[in-house]
Amino acid sequence: MAFAKPQATLRSVTGIPTGRLAVWWVLASEVVIFGGLLGSYLMHRIGHPEWAAAAVHTNVWIGAFNTFVLLTSSFTAVLAHQAAEAGDGKKAARFLTLTIGGALTFLLVKSVEWTIEITHGYTITANMFWSFYYTAAGLHAMHVIAGAVIMGFVAVDAYRGRELQRVELIGIYWHFVDVIWIFLFPLLYIAK
Amino acid sequence: MSDDQHGHHVNYKKIYFILLALLVVSVAGPFVGVVWVTLVTAFGIAVVKANLVIQNFMHLKWEKRLMKWMLGTSLLLMALMLAGVSPDIMNHEGNNWDNLAAKAATERGIDGEHAETTVEGEPGEGVAEAEQGEFSAQTAYNGVCAACHGQSGAGDGPAGMALDPAPANFTDPEFWATRDEQRIVTVIRDGAVAVGGSPLMVPWRSTYSDEQIQALAEYVMTFRPAGQ
Repeated sequence: MAFAKPQATLRSVTGIPTGRLAVWWVLASEVVIFGGLLGSYLMHRIGHPEWAAAAVHTNVWIGAFNTFVLLTSSFTAVLAHQAAEAGDGKKAARFLTLTIGGALTFLLVKSVEWTIEITHGYTITANMFWSFYYTAAGLHAMHVIAGAVIMGFVAVDAYRGRELQRVELIGIYWHFVDVIWIFLFPLLYIAK
Repeated sequence: MSDDQHGHHVNYKKIYFILLALLVVSVAGPFVGVVWVTLVTAFGIAVVKANLVIQNFMHLKWEKRLMKWMLGTSLLLMALMLAGVSPDIMNHEGNNWDNLAAKAATERGIDGEHAETTVEGEPGEGVAEAEQGEFSAQTAYNGVCAACHGQSGAGDGPAGMALDPAPANFTDPEFWATRDEQRIVTVIRDGAVAVGGSPLMVPWRSTYSDEQIQALAEYVMTFRPAGQ
């Protein structure tokens, strides 16, 4: 490496490895971002009973399939962490690749779903329900994309047996993306 | 990986299958057809699933207490913010205010036909078309104008109480001494400023078409006392 590692990555005043503390710190701020958005949606939904008429058009089967995909990708992410803990970088990289596959499947399904909805006239400007629908699912999808890209870098390093602690860090982020979807699914698909 | 990470034997596969089973229950819930069952299977199970992932996959169970406090603070601040704005969002009226737009939206509902009309027309036009199709001068007056001018046109709407100058009283013969329909149309379209009046009467040309403004003016004319 051309540059020495910043000192902050080496020390851990709190007793928590700095990288992991940083990831949790990011997630604590994400809680407010997604919590604010989903909370606003929930309050509007309760205040506007007529939104139920729009919500019936979301496809619960597509939503359920994507929930299955994300839960599975979380499972492979935690197996990658387990492999990294055992020092097996190659195995960790394989599980991370499977997780990236889950992310791509999720995005593929999402794009088909949105294409169907948009061509049926359910656009982001159709009404407030659809505005929330695309904003919440879109913000979540951006997190999926970001996670998949970062996971690619981590997987390449892990395959060469480098920076194995990062497998856990990207995993924690990925599980969070999964948790957000766990709440989006009932909010947007099940509660009609 | 720090030392405190070693030695937990989580059965990840077991957790994963529990998560999948919970997913099946949450999808099956609405088929029972009882509202509270749906709410429990949808949101109750979401909380359980999220907790399983957070504790076992994210290993929050084994994190130091500092981390839990940090996340707890974040959740608390979020809850505080949501609790603060919830009365404004969830109620459409209070002691001293009326959210006319929200009320109108609730009353109008989301037109089931709207989706089909949008496919034919330009994207986003559906809502406007639906509104135009249903336009009624009386409904528009009661929904928008009456807030200040009053349902009976006497200028005694709840939102107009504090205005200075007071909203026009359409039942006052003196008011009509200097007005005609053309002037009413102009004021609705371009605002009272266009005739040297109060800026509180804002222009409505971007909300209503010329035909709609004409219809509104005709409706306002019905408040004119007989013999004027």
